[in-house]
Amino acid sequence: MKFQLKRLLAQFFIFLSANLRPFGVKTGFCYPFFYCNACPSATSACPLRPLEVSVYKFIQDDNSIKWTFLLFPIAILGLIGALSGRAICGWACPIGLLQRATGKIARKFKKYPLFKKMGKHPIEQYLRYIKYINLIGLVFVTSALIGFYFTDICPIGFLTGTIPTLLLFPGKYGPSSYFWIALVIFILFLILIFLIERGWCRYFCPVGAILAPFNKISLMHITRVPEETFQKECLHCNACSNICPMGIDVVKINRDPECILCGKCIEVCPKNLIEYSRGQK
Amino acid sequence: MNKNISISIIIVFSIFLTGMFVYTDGYEDIKSSVVEVLCLSCLKLDPVTQLEYIFETANSNHHPDFVLNNLTSGIVFLHYSKDACSGCDIILPAIKELFSVEYGKEDMFQKKLTFEENTVHYYYINTDHTTDEKQQSFKIYDKDHVEGLPMVTIITLNYDHGTIKPYYTSIYGTFGSKYDTLQKRYDFLTDIISESIGLWEENNAGYEP
Repeated sequence: MKFQLKRLLAQFFIFLSANLRPFGVKTGFCYPFFYCNACPSATSACPLRPLEVSVYKFIQDDNSIKWTFLLFPIAILGLIGALSGRAICGWACPIGLLQRATGKIARKFKKYPLFKKMGKHPIEQYLRYIKYINLIGLVFVTSALIGFYFTDICPIGFLTGTIPTLLLFPGKYGPSSYFWIALVIFILFLILIFLIERGWCRYFCPVGAILAPFNKISLMHITRVPEETFQKECLHCNACSNICPMGIDVVKINRDPECILCGKCIEVCPKNLIEYSRGQK
Repeated sequence: MNKNISISIIIVFSIFLTGMFVYTDGYEDIKSSVVEVLCLSCLKLDPVTQLEYIFETANSNHHPDFVLNNLTSGIVFLHYSKDACSGCDIILPAIKELFSVEYGKEDMFQKKLTFEENTVHYYYINTDHTTDEKQQSFKIYDKDHVEGLPMVTIITLNYDHGTIKPYYTSIYGTFGSKYDTLQKRYDFLTDIISESIGLWEENNAGYEP
């Protein structure tokens, strides 16, 4: 079976297993990826929700931090991150699955001069820090100081929670005060993922921000063959970097925090100079 | 990065996660507080308030004893809330003002109040800090099966096929965009309570818990 087909099946199977509530399955686990617990079929909790709850208005209300809510998702994401880094983004996340589909359209847009440099501009590497600002600023700081502003406007919650709820229960719910702002952000999210391949994962995903540093220490990662062989045999065809959905310069890859271990670069290399590795480098 | 370091980190997180399972209530807390309770903030939606009184409980269970007993002397007002809930923080001041009561958000609070010279049994039920009986009452009165907080339930009495029975309504969220200020929420609640008191006064003579 083709490698990318296996990945597609893994993504599809995990998407189904994340939606077992209609069969009575409700767990106290957190997903290790971004998926809203307000989805009518959600099995588990979004990892960001317990993190927000852990610090909710703890300064304003003079409450204490709820440590179990803070540490439980960190333990789950930490274990998975230490095992395989951001592989979960490439192999399990339903939003990754969605972007896999929209990525093909984003690649077609690249044929046009206006979009050619999109996602490759020099400033792009700095934009990737936005996801860390989202994680710290929106998930933790606003929750601690003001309230749940991130969940109020979250585009993933809109996609996986709001839209299915409106479709399944027409007339039962009406828009809250944040609905229209969230709708605008959701439309911007759609534009982003249609214009830039994996644009959400690259720049904005707070769960990706938690997992990204684990790429530096994870057991499983993508690496080049030993330096001597690589220098001798690399054709500098740049096929690996061109196919990378995260826009990584794969030739220089060294435990890049953006790598989602999708394996496309491994498949495309004509000299088999890139490979999965288990902790050696 | 040495393979041994990676494995050491995996072992540390494995022990950490196992410890969380065995020695803390993290799993149960997240299940009961995040997965089983609908987050209206995540949903960006408010349940459409349907002010409809009914006899049948939402899960077909009996009304709890504390409700049945209190109905002999006045209506029962149940105010469901939780610690981390932005909607609850909006509703809380309106209800505190309505009944002129003061308590902490995480407290268990109940009081026999006088509202316009009538008795109201007020219960503040924070689902994160309450007894099993009160916790279960949330599902009994979740008439629209929203499973979300905040929820306010008012129980009064009415005549049904020859007997006087508990008759209740539940309203959810921040009551919708129609009631977007503290004063409007206050007025809305006042109207419901007055209506419930009227029903109770008409029917209480024939009520047996």
